[in-house]
Amino acid sequence: MAHSELYAQIDRYAYINPFAKTSPVTKMLFALSALIISVSSPSPVVPIIVFAAATILLLRLAKIPVHFYLDMLAYPTVMLALSCIIIALFFGTGEPLTQIAFPWFTWTIFKSGIALSVATFLRVEGALSCLFFLVLTTSITDIFITLRRARVPKVLVEMALLIYRYIFVFIEVAEKMNTAQKLRLGHSGWMRRIRSLALLSGNLFIRTLEQGERTLTAMNARGYDGNIRVLEDQPPAKKTALAGIIIFDIVLVLAAYLTLNVGVL
Amino acid sequence: MLFRLENLSHQYSDGTLALDNVSLSFAKGERIAILGTNGSGKTTLLHHLNGILKPTAGKVYFEDKPLEYDSKSLLDLRRRVGFIFQDPNDQLFAPTVKQDVAFGPLNLGQPADQVKKLVDETLGLVGMAEYAEKPPHFLSLGQKKRVALAGVLAMQPEVLIMDEPTSNLDPRAASEILHLLLHLNTKYGLTLILATHDVDMVPLFAKKLFILSKGKLVTEGSPKELFSNADLIRDVNLRSPRITHLFEVLKKENNLPVDNQLPLTISEARKEILRLLNLEDAGKDRGEGESHERD
Ligand SMILES: Nc1ncnc2c1ncn2[C@@H]1O[C@H](COP(=O)(O)OP(=O)(O)OP(=O)(O)O)[C@@H](O)[C@H]1O
Ligand SMILES: [Mg+2]
Repeated sequence: MAHSELYAQIDRYAYINPFAKTSPVTKMLFALSALIISVSSPSPVVPIIVFAAATILLLRLAKIPVHFYLDMLAYPTVMLALSCIIIALFFGTGEPLTQIAFPWFTWTIFKSGIALSVATFLRVEGALSCLFFLVLTTSITDIFITLRRARVPKVLVEMALLIYRYIFVFIEVAEKMNTAQKLRLGHSGWMRRIRSLALLSGNLFIRTLEQGERTLTAMNARGYDGNIRVLEDQPPAKKTALAGIIIFDIVLVLAAYLTLNVGVL
Repeated sequence: MLFRLENLSHQYSDGTLALDNVSLSFAKGERIAILGTNGSGKTTLLHHLNGILKPTAGKVYFEDKPLEYDSKSLLDLRRRVGFIFQDPNDQLFAPTVKQDVAFGPLNLGQPADQVKKLVDETLGLVGMAEYAEKPPHFLSLGQKKRVALAGVLAMQPEVLIMDEPTSNLDPRAASEILHLLLHLNTKYGLTLILATHDVDMVPLFAKKLFILSKGKLVTEGSPKELFSNADLIRDVNLRSPRITHLFEVLKKENNLPVDNQLPLTISEARKEILRLLNLEDAGKDRGEGESHERD
């Protein structure tokens, strides 16, 4: 799947999934609280619970196809795994797990390094599943409106809103220019490919500036006065859902305490 | 006069003189087309009508008062003069179709439930109701154009300025949009000004025509007057509507006794053919089918 297609597909699910019409407050509260608990949990058990919960919700209730979810997970997981291998091999202190003797030095792999590596891996995967839950079930409009209600500074929210919209415009432009270059054989040979890429990036930068100007003009023409107003018609959060999330969070925190001593090794 | 341009010139910062001493005016409720080749200055001219660009020389008058360019006056002007951009990607910035259409009315300070109603209505009007919840990047270019139109119509302007409203639309969509605009013009007196190089569309739409070439206003008049002057049309690198061209050739090359007033549209051509065949009455018997035989 092409990158841009993946992004667009994420967006599509956000608008059509069975959770699309539930309160964004509920979904964001669930995702963010679970994310925070997951990354700050000292025990490896909690991130696993979080990952399982978010994944089951996504696959079972939000009806996200398994292969799509795995596709989404694959990119960050590969990167994460590489980083965690580095952590396992080169980090840690204290009790060594094994030592490899080289003529000029001894390379020690520590137990604590392995533990740190596994813990990091699990925490990040737990956090990822929360984020994926959020982006796959909640449309950007809903997220913006909720952030604004939560009094996140206006500049940040409005900038994010515009960036979100124009990311897609630029992916489109970049892909068109890329295709146009290919069709005129701009990619035959390594040097030419580099040159084409440089041209494309330069052009894209200039287009970005121009686009910004034109968009502002167009917004002005419709009475923009420095405030982006949106129609708010999100359903209110259900009390029962909120209560459920709070109970889930309490369970997570308890689990973190109870499993404090569960080691990886 | 609703709008009056007086010796208007515009020079871009890179030195391009895009408009050169243009003077023209038009009244409320008119249907105006501005015709010209690529780069003739159409967009530049339109951008002066709602204060997007400031003349480097000359003046723009709206209802006989010179435009002022402070933000308050501009807001007042833009509340009444809607503008649809050539590229809908410039205009659609909101994450969903619905939010984009709501942007203008919300800026006008209308209450939310009224805006909701307006959004539904206008999206219905342009035939995009079922796309309300979609993000703009899932739409085709023609669909984006219609949403852009809805976004401006929802502000209920008195004047609508459109830069190439029908380019990139399929024939059917173009014809539907055209009908919608004509309807708004006759029913609500909406003043329409559009820039185009689609000469076949102009006679169906415009009562008055301004022709620009290289930043200069070459001539103005009704489509009938201007298109019957074939030399002039050729001089500014435009062409006549296809159907007009056909009759021009029939007249010149085949010496067919075509009326000097060449037909510009299908229905005019039909009348002329019937006349030439001495069948004038036949057309009347079957009634005027103008509405479904346009372009
Ligand atoms: N921002 C700008 N800076 C400098 N020159 C410009 C700018 N915008 C337009 N021009 C120049 O001004 C002239 C008129 O451009 P304009 O966009 O008004 O033409 P147009 O009639 O709308 O053409 P088209 O049919 O292609 O849309 C052109 O020569 C163009 O190159
Ligand atoms: Mg133009």
